[in-house]
Amino acid sequence: MAPAIPAKRQLPSKESTLFKELLTLYETRQLKKGLKTADQILKKFPEHGETLCMKGLLLTHMGRREEGIETVKKGIRLDITSHIVWHVFGLIQKAEKNHEEALKSYTQALKCDKENTNILRDAANLQTQLRLYDALVETRHTLLRLRPALRQNWIGLAVAYHLNGQLSDAKQVLEAYEKTLKNVPDYDVEHSEVLLYHVRLLEDLNEFTEALTLLDSNAKSRAIVDRRVIRETRARLLSKLQQTDEAEGAWRVLIETNPDCTGYYRGYLNNKGIIIESLTDESRAEATQILRDLSSRIPRASAHRRLALTVATGEEFNELAKDYLTTRISKGIPSLFADVKTLYQDPVKRDFVEKTMEELREQWSSPSSEPTSYLWTLYFLAQHHSYLGRQSRALALLDEAIEHTPTLPELYTCKGRVLKRLGDFLGAARSVDYARQLDGQDRFLNTKCGKYMLRAGLVEEANQVLGLFTKKDAASPGSDLEDMQSLLYLIEEGNAHNRSGNLGMALKRYTAIQQVFNDYEDDQFDFHSYSIRKFTILIYLNLIDWEDRLRSFPNYPEAALAASQIYVRLHDDQSLLASLTAPAALSDAEKKAKNKAKKAARKQEDPKKGVPNAQGNEDKGLEPEPAKDDDPDGTKLLQASDRLEKAAAWLAPLTRLTKDNIDVWIAVYDVAVRRNKWLQAIRALSHAQSLDAKHPELHLRLIDLRKRNPSSACAEAIRPAVIASVQELIPDEMSLDTYNSQYLQTHTTSANAILSCARASHRLEAPLAEIEDLVFTLFHADVDLDVKTSLAALAFLEGIKSVRAEEFRTACDSKFELSTVFKSQEELAALRQNGANGTVESETAQPEEVLG
Amino acid sequence: MVNIRVATVDDAIGMQACNLQNLPENYTMKYYLYHLLTWPSLSYVAEEGGRIVGYILAKMEEDVGPEDEPHGHVTSISVLRSYRRLGLAQRLMVQSQKAMEAVYRASYVSLHVRKSNRAALGLYKDSLGFTMSDVEKKYYADGEDAYAMRLSLKQT
Repeated sequence: MAPAIPAKRQLPSKESTLFKELLTLYETRQLKKGLKTADQILKKFPEHGETLCMKGLLLTHMGRREEGIETVKKGIRLDITSHIVWHVFGLIQKAEKNHEEALKSYTQALKCDKENTNILRDAANLQTQLRLYDALVETRHTLLRLRPALRQNWIGLAVAYHLNGQLSDAKQVLEAYEKTLKNVPDYDVEHSEVLLYHVRLLEDLNEFTEALTLLDSNAKSRAIVDRRVIRETRARLLSKLQQTDEAEGAWRVLIETNPDCTGYYRGYLNNKGIIIESLTDESRAEATQILRDLSSRIPRASAHRRLALTVATGEEFNELAKDYLTTRISKGIPSLFADVKTLYQDPVKRDFVEKTMEELREQWSSPSSEPTSYLWTLYFLAQHHSYLGRQSRALALLDEAIEHTPTLPELYTCKGRVLKRLGDFLGAARSVDYARQLDGQDRFLNTKCGKYMLRAGLVEEANQVLGLFTKKDAASPGSDLEDMQSLLYLIEEGNAHNRSGNLGMALKRYTAIQQVFNDYEDDQFDFHSYSIRKFTILIYLNLIDWEDRLRSFPNYPEAALAASQIYVRLHDDQSLLASLTAPAALSDAEKKAKNKAKKAARKQEDPKKGVPNAQGNEDKGLEPEPAKDDDPDGTKLLQASDRLEKAAAWLAPLTRLTKDNIDVWIAVYDVAVRRNKWLQAIRALSHAQSLDAKHPELHLRLIDLRKRNPSSACAEAIRPAVIASVQELIPDEMSLDTYNSQYLQTHTTSANAILSCARASHRLEAPLAEIEDLVFTLFHADVDLDVKTSLAALAFLEGIKSVRAEEFRTACDSKFELSTVFKSQEELAALRQNGANGTVESETAQPEEVLG
Repeated sequence: MVNIRVATVDDAIGMQACNLQNLPENYTMKYYLYHLLTWPSLSYVAEEGGRIVGYILAKMEEDVGPEDEPHGHVTSISVLRSYRRLGLAQRLMVQSQKAMEAVYRASYVSLHVRKSNRAALGLYKDSLGFTMSDVEKKYYADGEDAYAMRLSLKQT
C-alpha cells in the first residue's frame, strides 16, 4: 500500500485537478498556460512544494533560469519527500550536464517512489554515463521486473550485464528474452540486430559452435537480414573452429563482395596459416600464388595486387612492382607514392622502385610519349626523394614538372611539403597558396593552405583564406570552424600562437579542443536510451568503448601536453604573466588581432539580443545557453590561479589511455612535482624509465628530482617510500655533476641529449660560459642537429639570458640555409611582405575541374 | 594501400575531419553518431594507414510517404583530393547501396547536390547512374538550389 500523502502535499479537489492539468501542460510544453495554472494553485497554497517545483521548471524552460532554479529549490525545501520535486531538480541538473548531482536527485526521487519507471529509466542513463555498472544492473533489473512486456527492458538488462563484464548473465537474459517472443514479423531489422548481438556474445564467450549454429539457423530463416555481418561472422567463426575448407569458401565470398577490403584478404590468408607480418619462404610462395590467382579472378580490384607487393620478394616482386607502378602512373593516380612508401621498410624494394621510376622517367621524357605520364613520374620521384631526405633533388624535379605543366596544384602542394621539410615555412605557405589559387573551388587545397599559413605563423592570413569556405553568418571563420569541431584548425592555430609566444591565445585554442572532446563525451548520453530502443546493440557497445578511449585520439594528447607545458611555464616564471598581459607587450599586429577577437566575441552574442518573445511561450529548453565568450584573447586563462590543477586535469586521462607515451609521463612529473605530489611524480618517472631509460627529457627530470631534495621536502609519513624510490631512479652515491657528464659522454652525437645536459647544467647552477660552450657543441659535425632541436636550444639560450643567443641564431641560419625560422625579426618581416605581394600571376590561374 | 570497409564509431572523428577538409557542408559529431548508431551497416570508409581518406555517410529516409517506397539517402560522400582517380567514391557508394537493399529492402537511393557542383554532378550521373528527380529551391543554408537525384536499386 502506498504511504499516506502528507497533509502539506494534499490539495482540495479543484486544485488537485489543476495540478494534474499542470503536469499535462508541461508534458505538452504549453509553458505559458502551465505557468498560469501553477500560479492559480499557488495563490491559495503558496507553500505547495510540488507546484513550486513545476513552476520553477516552467520558468527555466522559458529562459528565466535563475528565477526558475530558485523556485525549484524552494519547492524542494517545502516537500522533501516528494518524488516530483527531486525529479524536477534532477532534470535541471541533467540538462546542465551535472550528471553526478542529477543522479543524486534521482536517487532521492526513487527513495520516495521506488517503482517509478520514468525515473528509473533516467537513472539508468545517468548510471551508464557515469559508468556505475553495478548500480545499472540493479536499475535495469527493477525495470524488467516492473515491465517485462516491454522488449527494451530485456535488452537493457542484457546490455547492463555486458557492460559490467557479466557476459554469461547477459547471455541468459537474451535466451529468456527470445523465449518470450511470439510472431516476430518477417524481415524485422530490430530482431535481426538482437540475434547478431546474441551471436557475438557467444563468440566472446568462446562458444564458437553454438555461435555458428545460432547464426546459420537464423540466417537461413532470414531472421538475420544483414548479409555482410552474416558472412563476416561466419568466416571468422569457421576459422576459429578450424573448419579450414569451409572457412576458405566463406572468406572468398567476402573478397568477392568487397574486393577492396584488406581485412578479408588477411582473413583468407590467416585461415591458411599465413601471417603477412611473419612469412617463411614457403608461406611467402604460397601467399604470392594465392594473390596472383585472386587477381586473375577479380581483375577490377587492386588490393590483392598491392598486397602481393608486400608479400613478394626478388624477381617476383620486381615483375609485379613494375607492372603496378607503370599502370598507375599512366592512370595519373596522385596517391601512388603514399600507397607504396610503406614498402620502403625493405631497402631492396625501395631501391627497385626508385630504379623503375627513373627508367620510366627516361622512357617517357621523349616528346612522343604521353605527357601526363611523364608529369606524374616527376611528381612521384619528387615525393620519393623528399621522403628520403633529398630535398634539393626533389625541388629540382618539381621545378621541371612545373615548367612542364604550370597549372597542376599537386606540384605546388608537394613543393610546399618539401620546403616545409627544409624549414622554409613561409616559402611552403606561399607555394600551397599558389596551389589553392589554381583551384579556388576546392576546399581541400584551401584547408591545406590555411594549415601551412598557420605553420608559418601567418595567423591572420590563414583565417582569411579559411574564411572563404566557412559560414558567412559566423562571427569569424575561426568560430565556425570551432563550432564544427575542426580539431585541425584548433590545434594548428593553438600551436602557431604557442610558437609566437602568444600563450593566452594558444591556451584558448587548446581549451577549445578540450571542450570538443567534452562534447564528444556528452554526445553519448542520448544513445543510452536510444540504442536500446532501436536494438542496435553491437554498435552501441562500440560507442561506449570508443568513449572510454576518446582522449587517446589524435589532437587531445598533443593539446594536453602543450597546454600543461604552458601552465608549468607560467608557474615557474611569475614575470611571464605580467609581460604577457602588459598592454605594452603587444605588437601592433597583436593589438589588431585582439581587437578583432573582441569584435568577433561581441558579434557572437548579438544575434539573439532583443529578439521579442512574441509567443511568450517559446521553449528555450532546459539546457543553459552557451556561455558567451568573456575571454577573447585568453587573458583569463593565463591569469587562472589554479593552473597546475588545470594542467593535472588535462593529463589525467592520458595516464590511463596513452601509457606508452613517454612525453605524457614527463609532463605528469613536471606538474606533480610542482604540486608537491611526490609519490605521483616519482611514479611518473619510473614509468618513463621503464619506457626509455636513456631519454634526454627523463635525464633532465631525474636531476631535477634529486635537486629538489624530495626526502626532506616530502611529508614525514611517505618519507621512507620516497627515499627508497628515488634511490631506485637515480643513485645517490654519485654527485649530480658527475651523473650529468657521464650521460653526456655516452651520448655525444645526440643533439637532444646535449641540449638536455646543458639544461641540467643550468639546473645545477653551472657557470653560464660553460653551459653556452656545451650548447655550441651542437654544431659539431657528427651531431644529429635538426631544425626542431636548434629552435629548442635557441629558446633555452634566450631563456637563460645568454649573450651568445644571437650568435647561435646566426649560426643556425647559416647551417639551415633554406630555413626561415632562424631569420631575424627584420628579415622575417621582409620575407612576409614578399609573401603578401608575390601572389599568383592571374594569367596562369586556370581553375581545374577534377572529378572525384 | 586503401582499405574499404564498413564504418565504426572509431572512424567518426576521421570522417568528420575528412568532411571538414573537403566539403562546405559540415556536421557536429552527434550527427555522425546518429547515422552510425541508427543504420550501422550503411556508412563506409576508405582508410589508408589508419587515416580516413574517404567516406560515405548514409541513412534510410525516415519520412516515407504513403505513395513512396522505403529508400536510402546519402547524407554526405567525399574523397580527399589526394586520393582521387582510384574510383573510391564509386566503391564506397556501391557497398552502401548493397547494404541498403539487403538490410532495409530499399528500392532506390536519393541524394542532394549543389546546382553549381559540376564535378559531383558528373560523378553521380555518369559514373554512378543517378538521374535528376527534382530541384529543391534554396536547399542549402547559403540559398543555393539543390538537385535531388536518385538511383533505382531494383534489379532489372
